[in-house]
Amino acid sequence: MPIAFPMEMPPPALLQFLGSLAAILVLAGIVRWLGLGAPSRFTNHEEVTVAADEVHHGFAPVATAIDREGRAALARNAIGDVMLLRFHGNKVAGRLVGPGASAALAGERLRIDTGEPRFGAVELEIENASAWMQAIDTIKPAHHA
Amino acid sequence: MPDFSPTQLAVPGFVLLVLAEMIWARYRRPDAYEPKDTLVSLAFGLGSTVAGVLFGGVVLALFLWLCQFRLFDFGEQWWTVWWAWLVAFVLDDLRYYWFHRFAHRVRWFWASHVNHHSSQHYNLSTALRQTWTGFFAAGFLFAAPLVLLGFHPAMLAIVAGFNLIYQFWIHTEAIGRMPRWFEAVMNTPSHHRVHHATNPRYLDRNYAGVFIVWDRMFGTFEPETDEERIRYGIVKQLGSFNLLWAVFHEWIGMLQDVSRAPWRYKLNYLWREPGWTHDGSRETSDAIRARWLAGHEAPPARIAPENPIAGGAEPA
Repeated sequence: MPIAFPMEMPPPALLQFLGSLAAILVLAGIVRWLGLGAPSRFTNHEEVTVAADEVHHGFAPVATAIDREGRAALARNAIGDVMLLRFHGNKVAGRLVGPGASAALAGERLRIDTGEPRFGAVELEIENASAWMQAIDTIKPAHHA
Repeated sequence: MPDFSPTQLAVPGFVLLVLAEMIWARYRRPDAYEPKDTLVSLAFGLGSTVAGVLFGGVVLALFLWLCQFRLFDFGEQWWTVWWAWLVAFVLDDLRYYWFHRFAHRVRWFWASHVNHHSSQHYNLSTALRQTWTGFFAAGFLFAAPLVLLGFHPAMLAIVAGFNLIYQFWIHTEAIGRMPRWFEAVMNTPSHHRVHHATNPRYLDRNYAGVFIVWDRMFGTFEPETDEERIRYGIVKQLGSFNLLWAVFHEWIGMLQDVSRAPWRYKLNYLWREPGWTHDGSRETSDAIRARWLAGHEAPPARIAPENPIAGGAEPA
């Protein structure tokens, strides 16, 4: 006797897709369950210097600042370029702060909006936040001309 | 006529090897995987199979039509000509080398291929980070000469599948170096780590699929050195785990550049290398590499006269 289904069965391709989707969610879950890719942090200025050079080859910081949590940092080179670095997962991504960026200061908290929606804004709790704010303010289009 | 997909059959093996590498990472390199990065890579893989289902038929139909102009005929039972399989595999790997080289040197192709390089990790899940937009980039046209030679499209699809399977296992840091004879002829984890690196010394090197001899022949080979740590990804890292952004960001950036550029430069943003700009405001991989070669410490030039944050694509 044929089995009656209350509704039409989904096509095999759809079942395969849903099965694959479930499988990749399980695999990503296993990565988390195994404790892989734990968040990293900046712990010293040498790490920031190395990361800045990795973001833009030849960028040689003369000043750096690490957020209290260690998840982000700023670096400035001898001619005043400022680089914003932040952890992306357990790897570092960074952007040179350009004229299109904006910064706002609230006490020791400096909020930098890169102007790039997908990179986003970063809040840093750093020493001398006002000095960094000034360094960013000096990055005007004329400065780059 | 043989009717099977080697890559589909290989999927269970892919999953098992990814699991094995995760266990290796648990004990040896806990930073080698990251949950969101892995999820994005695997979602890329799943999406690329959907794209293959949607567009593969169009490519097959085009190539079957092209068959009528073929130079050589392997007969009605072409799949029984055993040596044609070997020749097809080698020529298809040469085809892959040149496709891959163009995929890094022409922004139109790069817009699609960048997907595969967008992870800052290098593990077996990265191998599955395959493009969704390859059909639109039309990289399949690189196989047209092989069809015109007389190789049946189904034969080419199968050998290309085996090529892809071979390339899976080389996306790992779990294997150091293979025996010297093997490293001399075949693409290996060591050679392919170089290809995925963003270190200036490694940019746009080692395009091989299966046989590294193509890079040695055409001057694009670079051996891996233990002197410096490899960094993976693209020159301007995405900094986002947004899947759709990862898929389409370079297409969007390229089209924005075309729309903003003066008329005389618009097409250049499609066919010139990634990072090329008409005003020199970004760097190509050649420029980065040249700066590195020039002494590793060129004075920090004012970086990008236009906004470097909002700027579009850069090479990887």
